Amino acid sequence: MIDLLVLQQQASGSWRTQSEVFSEIFLVFLAIGTVVGVVVIAYTLYNGYRYRDTGEEPDGFEAPQLGELPTGQDGKSKKLFLSFGLSAIIVISVVVYSYTLLLYVESGPSSEVETEGNMDVQVTGFQFGWQFEYPNGQTELNTLRVPAGENQVIRLQITSRDVMHNFGVTELRIKSDAIPGETSEEWFLADEPGSYTIECFELCGIGHSQMSGEIIVMEPDEFNEWYDGTYEGASSQTAAVETEAES
Amino acid sequence: MSELPPTSSLKRWLLTTNHKDVGILYLFTATFFLLFGGVLALLLRIELWDPATAIIGGGGTGYNETVTAHGLIMVFWFLSPFAFGFANYLVPLQIGADDLAFPRLNALSYWLYAFSGVLFGISFFQGGTMTGGWTLYAPLNMPAYTPTIGSTGAVLAIAMFVAAVTASTVNFLVTIHHSRAEGMGLMDMPMFTWSILATVWMMLFAFATYLAALLILSSDRILGSTYFSATDGGALLWGHLFWFFGHPEVYIVLFPALGVMLEIFQTFSGNRLVGRKWVTIALVLIAIQSFLVWMHHMFLTTINLEIKTLMMATTIGISLPFDLLVFAMIYTLAKGRIRYKTPFLFAFGSLLLFILGGITGVFLGAIILDYQFRGTYWVVAHFHYVMFGGATALIGGAYYWFPKITGKMYDELLGKIHFAAFFIGFNVVYFSMFTAWETPRRVFEYQQSMVTSHQIGTVGAFVLGLSFFIMFYNFAKSYVAGPTAPDNPWEFARTAEWALSSPPPLENWDGRPSYASGHLEFLEREDTHGGHAAATDGGHATGNEASDYVLGDKHASHASIWPFAAGLSTLALLLGLSGIAGSLAIDPGSSIAGVGVALEGSVIYPLFTVVGIVALLYSGVKWGLEDFYAPPAAVANRWPFDRIEKTKLGMWFFLASDVLVFGAFISAAVFIRVNAGWRSWEALPASLPGLINTFVLLTSSFTVVLALVASRRRSRKGLMASIGATILLGLTFLSIKAWEWHHEIYDVGITLSQNPHGPPVQATIYYVTTGLHGLHVIIGLIVATFLLVRAYQGYYLDDHRPVEYFGLYWHFVDIVWVFLFPLFYLF
Repeated sequence: MIDLLVLQQQASGSWRTQSEVFSEIFLVFLAIGTVVGVVVIAYTLYNGYRYRDTGEEPDGFEAPQLGELPTGQDGKSKKLFLSFGLSAIIVISVVVYSYTLLLYVESGPSSEVETEGNMDVQVTGFQFGWQFEYPNGQTELNTLRVPAGENQVIRLQITSRDVMHNFGVTELRIKSDAIPGETSEEWFLADEPGSYTIECFELCGIGHSQMSGEIIVMEPDEFNEWYDGTYEGASSQTAAVETEAES
Repeated sequence: MSELPPTSSLKRWLLTTNHKDVGILYLFTATFFLLFGGVLALLLRIELWDPATAIIGGGGTGYNETVTAHGLIMVFWFLSPFAFGFANYLVPLQIGADDLAFPRLNALSYWLYAFSGVLFGISFFQGGTMTGGWTLYAPLNMPAYTPTIGSTGAVLAIAMFVAAVTASTVNFLVTIHHSRAEGMGLMDMPMFTWSILATVWMMLFAFATYLAALLILSSDRILGSTYFSATDGGALLWGHLFWFFGHPEVYIVLFPALGVMLEIFQTFSGNRLVGRKWVTIALVLIAIQSFLVWMHHMFLTTINLEIKTLMMATTIGISLPFDLLVFAMIYTLAKGRIRYKTPFLFAFGSLLLFILGGITGVFLGAIILDYQFRGTYWVVAHFHYVMFGGATALIGGAYYWFPKITGKMYDELLGKIHFAAFFIGFNVVYFSMFTAWETPRRVFEYQQSMVTSHQIGTVGAFVLGLSFFIMFYNFAKSYVAGPTAPDNPWEFARTAEWALSSPPPLENWDGRPSYASGHLEFLEREDTHGGHAAATDGGHATGNEASDYVLGDKHASHASIWPFAAGLSTLALLLGLSGIAGSLAIDPGSSIAGVGVALEGSVIYPLFTVVGIVALLYSGVKWGLEDFYAPPAAVANRWPFDRIEKTKLGMWFFLASDVLVFGAFISAAVFIRVNAGWRSWEALPASLPGLINTFVLLTSSFTVVLALVASRRRSRKGLMASIGATILLGLTFLSIKAWEWHHEIYDVGITLSQNPHGPPVQATIYYVTTGLHGLHVIIGLIVATFLLVRAYQGYYLDDHRPVEYFGLYWHFVDIVWVFLFPLFYLF
């Protein structure tokens, strides 16, 4: 199934961002959920209205007696199973559909389509901010700069150095737990330049509300200028290969 | 002391063991916690009004305390106790029993619950309460990150609460399986009782796991063990332990409300439940499946894709029986005669809220959507719709059973006004959370675009909160001056409680309730003298052990002070433990003779600890010596536990729960070791002392069997000798263990947090797990000493039960050791 998706993606010429994938699924679920909710609630309200007590007994009404051994009603079993079956089909279909897209999101774009500027960044959450370590060894706090590009894949390895945090960027629809002692992976497509807010989504202490940061997707030239600047100016690491060769 | 003072005296309420009184105590206390948790919620909503202004003090600490306490109080101290207030009052009535199986244990459950709430309240004043969220994620729950004494106090308060509910669980399991009226099989029970049965089965296994997690956390916080220090897998370990409990817990909270819904839908539509058999099966299926879905709370951790997918499948699987329940209720209304009284308004409203909440739950079950909903207000809105929305039915239950409990009728118009205000306020506040769903959880600063939603939500929250006062006023006014209520104010009510007066008499029934003829009848109580009843149940032969201990010429007891005393002692003990780590400076020295213990901080904490232990032991002994008589029913439907005596059944249920506690400890050990790489560890302690100890314990299992034989043969000397031998062997076990630990700490250098042969966590796991086992041995020896003294006084020669049941416990302790020995000493 993943191959089909890969073909689909490659055919269209570009990978889908997590944001697009989420919007599609969310819309589908929202539409189906609303329809189901409206139908079921409307039917419930209808029954509630139609069978309100008017003093007359409806057909087949048999008053229960105080102290009877409880029995059920068998007459409506067929309707019950029909409704149950229908709702089961809807629920299962909708989740299976979501599963197909899950496989894409889990692994991200395949590495067959490489571009300059694809890179891996180490993200370390701490009380109360985010540390980013670039391939050349440079570390920055709270601001992650990446170059823009079609099919530009940025992969993040996320951990924490104290308590559990959660690294989330709402506008890019990416999110991952930052667990001390573990490293989790997330990816996003840096296709549109702009600034995206990072927030922490797991209670981590007194500064949890203020633990925000920024992902700045820059034009490639501006990014390279900045990145080269970090390497020459600040880094005391041994010589690192240039960005182009990283890919 | 079995005469009860009148209800107007305070003493009555401290002494009572009657299930109806205990139910009322639960209802009142839970309502107090509703107010406490509700005020905290309103504080949160005020703080959320403007993200730029801080109202609650302490930087973020005050807010974090508020959000943590709100969750803990609502989930633990309000919802389930409120539901169990009704369960206590009504389950015995619905099944035709005289009381719960173990009335003193029931009172103990209440007092442990009430005092655990006091302990939690005190934690606010011990430097501030826990700030880690009600989910207490690791390592935020460790002292390095939540250092206050109050944080430890909060953890201990929760553990005390778990002890309370475990006692309640055993009690309800035995009651429902042992005390049903003749002719009432399991499938014939009313739906409210069924929902309680499913609830307590879940509680048995879920809370045992949580108790293990809390014991480990308490050990980390007080003794300095290192389970939840992160780098060895501690964060994930807590996640698994907590959510294995946490998911069944949400159904534990919900099921009683579902049971109330099912009763009210039948009563107020005049129809019997559609698909009753399937509804019962659905309840059982959900209870079982609830233990198979827990990792859907961990989709964003580093668990692998395969297990995530499996958990997604099981999560969808568990939504299906809920669909059936919802449709069964809707179809029950069809062709009915629905009367829109206040109980039905709340039950009906509850169903609508539950449908909405349930649909949003399906969203969360799709992993790819959960990736975005994690840690946001979508989750908060979802669980408030299902949990609080479901619990709305409990409010309906309050109106439904108010006339039965008080004998007065509430004001119907005020009830309807309450419902309107409640339903509007509820939807305004919780739907606003959906419109602002991208807000992170547990924050007080958030993005500007969400401000309007949150402000609308705050207004709704106040309407919701204030609506409760309409109900309080209604109930107070009606209790004092309302019209008298008849036995059955609800046309079409079917269950047995409506056949009694409002309120029912202290001992419930005049005759013996029986459904043998197909409907409720009250028969002559069987006359039994001398100790053996002519116990028949569908024609079985006489000599049914289950009823052999009915002493017909003795009157049932209803009062005891020892539950109150034991609860208060436990409060003192745990209060002491909360601060003891900071109050004592222990200098290990170079050998046990050189250990120095100095008082460093306040003397209060060590003092409370000692006083608590002494008082608890004293209460326990007095409890054991008290002449309290709780007769089992002479005639009852007990399938599938026919012929098992009441107290034995209770002991088996208790041991099942203890199996899960040790199971969780062993699972934790295995998890941590697999995380480190199984083969990278070698067995830590030398195996010879452990091997000798295994032989010692197995021999003591033999001597405890000999004790039972001696008791049955009425041999006082044989009984004393074998109990004495068991005690000696137990002391031998502890001595060898003491020598072994001394050697390891002082000669080898392996302590709780240091390990020259591997990672510190390996030593921690060894000491804490075998330490818990050792604690079980010590408790067993205390009970055995009590038995020895009583054997000397000539007891247990006619009634061998205490010896037999102690034997069951002792065998359990020995079998646990048979598992621990290879795990820690051989591999």
